[in-house]
Amino acid sequence: MSAVSGIEVPKLEWRSVAKRFARAPVLDGLDLAVAPGRSLVLIGGSGQGKSVTLKIALGLMQPDAGQVLLDGVNVTALSENERRPLFSRIGMLFQGAALFDSLTIWENVAFRLVHSDGIPRREARERAIAAMHLVRLSPDVAQLYPGEMSGGMQKRVGLARAIVGQPDILFFDEPTTGLDPITAAAIDELIVDKVRSLGCTAVSITHDLASARTIADEVAMLYQGRIVWRGPVRELDTTENPYVRQFVGGSSQGPIDANV
Amino acid sequence: MAAAVGRVAHFAGRGLHAAVTPRWFPQQILRQLGAIGFLSLPVVGMTAWFTGAALALNIYSSGDRFNAEQVMAQIVALGITRELGPVLAALMLAGRVAAAIASEIGAMRATEQIDAMVTLSTDPFRYLIAPRLIAAIIALPLLTLVADIIGVAGGWQVAIHMLGTSPQIYIANTADFLTAWDVESGLIKAAVFGFIVGLMGCYHGMTAVGGARGVGRATTQAVVSSAILILAADYLLTSLFTRL
Amino acid sequence: MRRHWGETAMGFVVLALAAVFLLWSLAVARAGRTGGGYQVSAKFGDVGGLQPGAKVSLAGVKVGSVSSVRVDPKTFLAVVQLSLDGDVHVPSDSTAKVTSDGLLGGAHVALTPGGAEDDLKPGGEISNTQGSVDLFGLIGQFIRPHGGNTPAAVSSASGADSSSPASSSAGAAASGY
Repeated sequence: MSAVSGIEVPKLEWRSVAKRFARAPVLDGLDLAVAPGRSLVLIGGSGQGKSVTLKIALGLMQPDAGQVLLDGVNVTALSENERRPLFSRIGMLFQGAALFDSLTIWENVAFRLVHSDGIPRREARERAIAAMHLVRLSPDVAQLYPGEMSGGMQKRVGLARAIVGQPDILFFDEPTTGLDPITAAAIDELIVDKVRSLGCTAVSITHDLASARTIADEVAMLYQGRIVWRGPVRELDTTENPYVRQFVGGSSQGPIDANV
Repeated sequence: MAAAVGRVAHFAGRGLHAAVTPRWFPQQILRQLGAIGFLSLPVVGMTAWFTGAALALNIYSSGDRFNAEQVMAQIVALGITRELGPVLAALMLAGRVAAAIASEIGAMRATEQIDAMVTLSTDPFRYLIAPRLIAAIIALPLLTLVADIIGVAGGWQVAIHMLGTSPQIYIANTADFLTAWDVESGLIKAAVFGFIVGLMGCYHGMTAVGGARGVGRATTQAVVSSAILILAADYLLTSLFTRL
Repeated sequence: MRRHWGETAMGFVVLALAAVFLLWSLAVARAGRTGGGYQVSAKFGDVGGLQPGAKVSLAGVKVGSVSSVRVDPKTFLAVVQLSLDGDVHVPSDSTAKVTSDGLLGGAHVALTPGGAEDDLKPGGEISNTQGSVDLFGLIGQFIRPHGGNTPAAVSSASGADSSSPASSSAGAAASGY
């Protein structure tokens, strides 16, 4: 896991990924790899392309150039049909939880089981309740609708939905944004706990440095379409890298152009 | 413009492919049938009644008294089954259903629910879009059938009260003049219109961008484009049918 | 659907109303045609716009309707199928005439009973027919007598097997002008 990481096949890798939208290049030669079982947090300013990086990894967006490799296999150009089976190994927690409004909580959590895996509803419900238990949601809320829950609880449901299929990789898009510090800390704890106990690889995006410090093994910083720094989380505060120093310090002075 | 047509055609192709090949989500199809079909009955029923009655009133006031009994029954029956039934039911559905579909799917797009569905190994075209297309194609002919019946009834009411026609004579005249093809051609039109309504709702919903305002725009576009395509298709189908 | 209970209830009401009306209409339509209707045919020289669905009347009472109107490609006559009510019987030598209610009324077929003892059978043919009279042609004779129509041409224009006295006297009057 540490010294032999050069030989080990990364769980997930971006190679020279480039993407541009109408106005400007968003990703410009992105190279990043995540070793199995490690938790990587991607930090960077708003609009720097963190979400795009995630979406390209998931195949929700196609890169203009470069490759994405999953367990060493190039998955960039797969069609939707070919990609679908891969998703059984992936779980994602979206920024707003992205729960299905017209379904109950347990139906949301069990969605994959019922509609993709063809598991009977009764069994799926039980597994959903078990997943909810892992994120400390009581079975009482199983019959509620997403609209009836707070943002923090919705995120927990989203997490339960992401882990119910026993994934290898978990993605987190701004998991603590918009939550109060206490709820944010609770979510962070849950993420750390699940990633450890399930042995998942995790890739997260966040602005929240406190959250990053909690959930990350490693941190990478994205600026102008490239990775400008990569290191273990404890070096976040000690590194000399000017981009990191400016970002962590929250200053408008430095190499990062604050007028985006 | 050509690019837009191309995009819609591509979308339509994907939707149809998802609709006719396994795997299907029967529960979703049934739910959509209820939402699109059954819940549109009141609107369609009222539209049909008033249209049939208005049509009969127009004939009455146009002064053709010689054959008024026959003519009124004939014109109402033919007008409703061939044109007004399918077209007006479809336009009502465009307003009600295309808007509802576009706003629902648009909102799902905006809140990343569509992306979430993909990450949950479920094809949104099969789970969301195909059921709506199938339901619309099935529901609109059925609704048109109801519209035909109620439209004739509306004209019948006018005939009884304005002309003093005997209720039975009006019905007998209607039955004499109406052919199966009149009703069938209307139902074929309705199936095409149903496809249009479902397609426009889904397409504009899926391609909505820009948050709440984008969803609003998508909803309006779905209704307007449905209406225009329905009327254009009506013209094409009518000219095709009247040549047969 | 439970959340839209109002609309669901209305939906059921609409369906119920439509069903009731439909069933009643079918019953009325069926009653209007007493069981055992049968088809007979008739050939005309000129049906003058007779449409399928037009009524067939006897002594001014509707006894059936026109099922189809076709042209026989060999004889160039219009072949009309008449659908008569089951309880109506006409002598086999009856006449079928294409006529209309007034100037603007639609064309329909009027039957005049003959004197034969046996009745017209299902599938039989009415041999005495009179096609529609070209009303406007006749009026034209009076208005423009030198319009180039000879009396012979006028009678053949009416296309009747039995020429009516009216047309030949109009022609005679025209040429005598």
